[in-house]
Amino acid sequence: MSLLQLLLDIVFYPPIFQVLVVGLIVSLIIVVITIWFERKAAARVQRRLGPYHVSPQLGGLLQPLADLVRYAFQEPIIPRTVDAAIFVVAPVVAAVLSIIPLGAVPFTSNPAYWPIPMENSLLIALALSTVAPLFIVLTGWASNNKFAVIGGVREAFMITAYELIAIVAMLAPAATLSTFNMVDIVEAQASLTWFILLNPLAFIAAFLAVVMSTSGFPYEIPESENEVVAGPYSEYSGILYGVNMGANYLRRFALSILIAILFLGGWLPVQPGDGLVAGYLIPTIVVLAKALIVMLVASFLRAVYARFRLDQALEGAWKYVFPLALIGLGLGIIENLLL
Amino acid sequence: MKDPEAREEPSSGAKIGLPGFKVRKIEEEVYEVFIGPQHPGSGHMRLITRIDGDVIVDIDPDIGYVHRTMEKLAEGREYIKNIPLFERMAIHDACNVTVPYVRAVEKLLGVDPPPRAKYLRSLLCEINRIAAHLYGFGIMGIFIGHSTMYMWSFGDREVFIDLAERLTGARQTHSYPVFGGVKRDMPQGFPEMARKAVRYMRKRLPEYEKIFFENPVVRDRLEGVGVIPRQVAAELGLVGPTARGSSIKYDARLAEGYDAYPELDFEIPVYTEGDSLARTYVKIEEIKQSLNIIEQCVSWLETREREAPMHPKFWEKSPPLWKKVYQETGRIKLLPIFASLKVPPGRAVARGETARGEIIYYVESDGSTKPYRVRIVSPSFRNLPVFKYIVPGHRVMDLPAIYGSIDYFPPEADR
Repeated sequence: MSLLQLLLDIVFYPPIFQVLVVGLIVSLIIVVITIWFERKAAARVQRRLGPYHVSPQLGGLLQPLADLVRYAFQEPIIPRTVDAAIFVVAPVVAAVLSIIPLGAVPFTSNPAYWPIPMENSLLIALALSTVAPLFIVLTGWASNNKFAVIGGVREAFMITAYELIAIVAMLAPAATLSTFNMVDIVEAQASLTWFILLNPLAFIAAFLAVVMSTSGFPYEIPESENEVVAGPYSEYSGILYGVNMGANYLRRFALSILIAILFLGGWLPVQPGDGLVAGYLIPTIVVLAKALIVMLVASFLRAVYARFRLDQALEGAWKYVFPLALIGLGLGIIENLLL
Repeated sequence: MKDPEAREEPSSGAKIGLPGFKVRKIEEEVYEVFIGPQHPGSGHMRLITRIDGDVIVDIDPDIGYVHRTMEKLAEGREYIKNIPLFERMAIHDACNVTVPYVRAVEKLLGVDPPPRAKYLRSLLCEINRIAAHLYGFGIMGIFIGHSTMYMWSFGDREVFIDLAERLTGARQTHSYPVFGGVKRDMPQGFPEMARKAVRYMRKRLPEYEKIFFENPVVRDRLEGVGVIPRQVAAELGLVGPTARGSSIKYDARLAEGYDAYPELDFEIPVYTEGDSLARTYVKIEEIKQSLNIIEQCVSWLETREREAPMHPKFWEKSPPLWKKVYQETGRIKLLPIFASLKVPPGRAVARGETARGEIIYYVESDGSTKPYRVRIVSPSFRNLPVFKYIVPGHRVMDLPAIYGSIDYFPPEADR
C-alpha cells in the first residue's frame, strides 16, 4: 500500500505529472488523434478513405503509431557533411522544450496540484514557449544543406512574425483582469464568461499565432515541399525525423493548452474539489479535451487552404494579425476599466 | 563542403565565345540552388536558380532528363508502330498528341478519314483534353500546397479516363487514331455514359471554383504572379493556354481546322491578364468548351449509321466477317495491311492542338515502310523559354505557382 502510495505521489507530483505524464504520454495520444483526424478529415473532404489498413476497426486510428514504430526502426542516416552533434541534439532539445511550458500551467484551482506558484504563471509559460523554435532554426543550419538553410531562415522569419502576436494576444486576458495568475484568469471566466466571447479579437490572433508557429496550413511555409523539400528537416531520416515532426505537434499542443486556459475557460464548467480525482484528474481531462478541439480545428485548415507565400504571410502577420492582437489587448484594457 | 565565396572565377571560361554559352560571375550574395531533378517540386528536370535573399535573380531550366530519342527511334519502326511510341510523350493526352502524326502520314498516303472517324477522333481528343487539364490542375494544386484540389481533380479525371477506356479499350495509351480512320467505334451505351460524365463535370466545376479558384489564399498566390505580356508571349512563340492567357487568340484547332473541328461549335477562351490565374482560367473555360464538344460529337455519332470507320482504301480490304462484327458491336481488328504499309515518298507537315498547346509533326518518307525522318515540335518545349524571362524577380515560392500554371510537362518537351 505504501509503495502504491509512493508511486502515486511520484506520478501525480504536479511538475512530474504535467511535464512527463501529460507532456510525453498524454500528448502522444493527443498527437496520434490529431494526426489521424488531420488525415481522415482531409480524406473526407477530398473524397477518399484516408488511413484505414492499420486497425480498420478503429478507422485507421493506429496508423500514426505504426508510422512512429517505422520511424523508430528506420536507420537514422547522419550525413558526413552535417554538424553531427547539433544535428542530433537540436531536434531532441526542440521536442523537450516544446512541452516545458506545461510545467507552468495550472490544470486545477486546487493549490495542492499546482506545479509552480501561480502568481506570474502566464508570463513564465509564455516565456518558456518561445525557446523551442530557435532549435528548429538550428537544425536547418546544422544540416548544411541549401534547402535546409532556406527552410531555417523561413522558420526564423515566421518566429519573428508570430511570437509577438502570440504574446500580445495572450496577454489580453491578463490586461482585463490585472493579473498574470492563470488560476485567477480561469476563475474569473466562471463569473464573467469565457474570454473567447469577452475578447474574440485576441482569441483569433492567438489562434492564428498557434497555426503559424507550428507550420500549419495556410502557413506551412518552412517545410514547403515544392520549393525546399522538407525545409529544415530535409537531411533527417528515421527517428530523428519523427522527433522533428513530433516536436511541431507538441508545440501546437502546449500552445493549445494555453489557449484553452486563457480563452476557453480552462477546467470550467468543472469545479475542482478535494482529492486526486476530483481535484486534479477530471479538471486536467477537461483542459486536455478543450486543447484537443483547438488542435483539431487548426489541423482541419489543411483541407481548405493552400499555403501563403512567405512575404504574404509576413505581411499578413505584421499588417493585419499583429494590429488585431494589439486591438485585442486594447479591448482587454478597456474591459479592465469597465469591470 | 567548400565555401562558395572561396571559389575562384573560372579563368578559361571567358575565352569561350560560343554563342549561347554564358559565363556567369559568381556573386557573393547570390545563393545557387539546384532544384531538381530529384526534387518534389521540379518534375523531370533541373531548375538552376540563383537566389538573392528570397528573390530569384536568374533561372536556368536544364532539361533532357527524360530524353528518349523519339525522333530517331521513329526512323527504325514501321509507320503504325510509331503511334504507340509518340503517345509516350504525354500519355494522358495520347489522342491529341498522335492525331497530327496520323494526319501527316495520311497526307502522304492521300487518304482522308470518313466523317465518322473524324468525329470519333475529335471526341477522344476532347476527353483527353479535359483529363490533361484536370491533371494540370492537380499538379498546380499540390505545388501551391492545396491537397484538396490535387485529390479532387485526380479523382474526377478518372471519370474521363473511364470514358476513354469505354471508347477505346485502354485507359491512357489508346493508340486510337490509325491512318485513314480510327481503331474502334463507339460502343453500346456510350452516349449515355458520356452525357452523364459531362453533367457530372458541369456540376463539379463550380465546386472547384469555390474551393480553389475563389479561395483567397490561392488567389493571392496566383493573381499578378508570372505575368507574361502579350509582346513577350508573341516573341517567344508561346502556344496553348499559356499564350491564350496573354490575350493571343491562337488555337491549332481553328488555324488548321482538322478532324471534325470545322463542323463543331466551340469558342477559344482568351484572357488578357497574362498571369498565373488567367492561364488557369483559360483551362477552366476550355474544359467547359470541351464538354460542349463532347456532347455535340456524341449526338452526331448517335444519330448516324455505322458506315465505315476507315477510308475505303483500307476498309475494302477487310474480310466480310470483320465488317459484320463492326456493324454489330463497333469493334474492329487492326487491319494487317498497316503492318507493312508503304508510304509514298514525300514530305508532310501537320499540327494539332494538345492540352498544352500546338504540336507540329514533320514526316518525310522515302517510299519504304519506315519514315525517313520525323520531326516533332512539342508545346511544352516551346513554352519552356518563358521560365528564363518571367521567373527572375519573383519570390522563390512563386516558382511552383508559375511552373504549375504553365503546365510544363518534361516528358513531352524532352521527347
